[in-house]
Amino acid sequence: MRSERKLHSFDSGITLECGDILKSFDLMVDTYGNLNSDKSNAILVCHAFSGSHHAAGNSSEDDRPGWWDELIGPQKAIDTDKFFVVSPNNLGSCFGSTGPTTVSPDTNEVYGKDFPDVTVLDWVNSQKMLQDKLGITSWAAVMGGSIGGMQALQWAITFPDNVKRSAVIAAAAKASSQNIALNEVSRESIRKDIDFCGGDYLKKNTFPKSGVKAARMLAHITYLSEENMNKRFGRKFQNSESKVGEFVDYEVENYLQYKGTKFSEFFDANTYIIMSKAMDGFDPAKKYNDELKEALKNIKAKLLIVGFKSDWLFPPDRGKEIQLAAMQSGVNSSYLELDGIQGHDSFLFASGRYQKNLEAFLEN
Amino acid sequence: MINPITSIIKNWIEPSSHIIDFGCGDGSLLKELRDQNNILGYGIEIDPEGIAGCLKNNIPVIEKNIDEGIDEFSECNFDVAIMASSIQCLKEPNVSLKKILTLSNRCIVTIPNLGYWRCRIALLLGRMPVTPSLPSSWYGTKNIHLCTIKDFEDLCRDEGFIIEDSIHLNKNRKPSKFSLIFPNLLSSEGVYLLARR
Repeated sequence: MRSERKLHSFDSGITLECGDILKSFDLMVDTYGNLNSDKSNAILVCHAFSGSHHAAGNSSEDDRPGWWDELIGPQKAIDTDKFFVVSPNNLGSCFGSTGPTTVSPDTNEVYGKDFPDVTVLDWVNSQKMLQDKLGITSWAAVMGGSIGGMQALQWAITFPDNVKRSAVIAAAAKASSQNIALNEVSRESIRKDIDFCGGDYLKKNTFPKSGVKAARMLAHITYLSEENMNKRFGRKFQNSESKVGEFVDYEVENYLQYKGTKFSEFFDANTYIIMSKAMDGFDPAKKYNDELKEALKNIKAKLLIVGFKSDWLFPPDRGKEIQLAAMQSGVNSSYLELDGIQGHDSFLFASGRYQKNLEAFLEN
Repeated sequence: MINPITSIIKNWIEPSSHIIDFGCGDGSLLKELRDQNNILGYGIEIDPEGIAGCLKNNIPVIEKNIDEGIDEFSECNFDVAIMASSIQCLKEPNVSLKKILTLSNRCIVTIPNLGYWRCRIALLLGRMPVTPSLPSSWYGTKNIHLCTIKDFEDLCRDEGFIIEDSIHLNKNRKPSKFSLIFPNLLSSEGVYLLARR
């Protein structure tokens, strides 16, 4: 599989939904496969909360497979022998695209807490600029899970002529009260870390590690299903050799501690807040008197909505709502409800039906 | 070659109607209607193979068990609903049919006829019937509410569904003159165009 990583600079800048202007910005972008001569085989994949441009293959930087490696590659559901996959890191993230950890051209200091709020629409607008730069008129598909799915939906709404298919996976048309509440607990744990310094930690050469760790531990639970946790950990005790600390009793505790610590070593705290706020704020129907079908009525793309039965963060019903509204507006839309036991995270793993149906959706 | 049932159904549907097909299988009927009459229809299906088939045929499909209720479609304003050989698989066919006729002006229903003479002979000989319209063995069938042409027409009368048109088919699934005389005995399938009162 041909893969390329490139930093794309946009000197024309972007006006964000909040009114702030970034005079210039960069997007770190991975591409996989080859763009065909009429540029009709490009698929945009949108990452979720903690994802990055690294969606497929093993990266030389961290030697880990990309977040959607199970689905993107030669002969996989998103077949790189047929498609040219474009995977950008989002604005406000911390993996190379402009975000709180980059230096502001205005102040010559890192943005830190002063990085403006970004929204799903801002991401989509910046991705449209990337599409134009690549000379692509219309994506063969825009696809993503979780907040990635929200971007896929926003694409179909905002740029109806520039996307042919949109796969909205394990997502919702807006965050629920429970979604916002869970995010707020995570944000609170970050803000209350003494090393957060009101968001100015980078300028003070410190990092709110324990806050980010606790935030991730909570969030991680919401990505798994009860069934899956019971299967994986049950009530098994942690053996003493691999305990992260004496206070740990159970395997599940040790696992979360380990995952949380690792996450806090690479994920920026301000990015965490920005990403979670973007998720909370997503609500395309708001401009249409909360009538989702009105928001969807100009969509020309074919929609595929996928829900997973064990997902309790964005349960299947949230996906059904999108499909139903699309159908009420006469939009070509399908809905799949899959078994995946990994909870919200199911969208990351290739399973028989998931793979087969995505393939069929992309084929026509 | 077009399936004869498809041609019958096509004749009953106005161009650019809004259609929903309950139990749409792999979407071949909707594909036919789309390709020939430019009609966008949605399929409802529970069988994974059928759903994958719809996506392959580029037919919008919703994974759903009709028995769990179809109230959510009430604001979709369908002109025609289709239940081709699926009504007998439902838990409460009468309730579902009634509901369908509240969310769509018309409903096209096809039923395998248990009153067909071949079925009667099979039963006389002490066997469950296996015919072209009832192809599965008793243990493999999804049909749980089979009926005869007479039974079905009784239900329509009792529930107040108007039978606007009906066609009865022979064992080759073609309209036949003989089936006109004694449809309950001589037809293997009935195709109905129902309207709500």
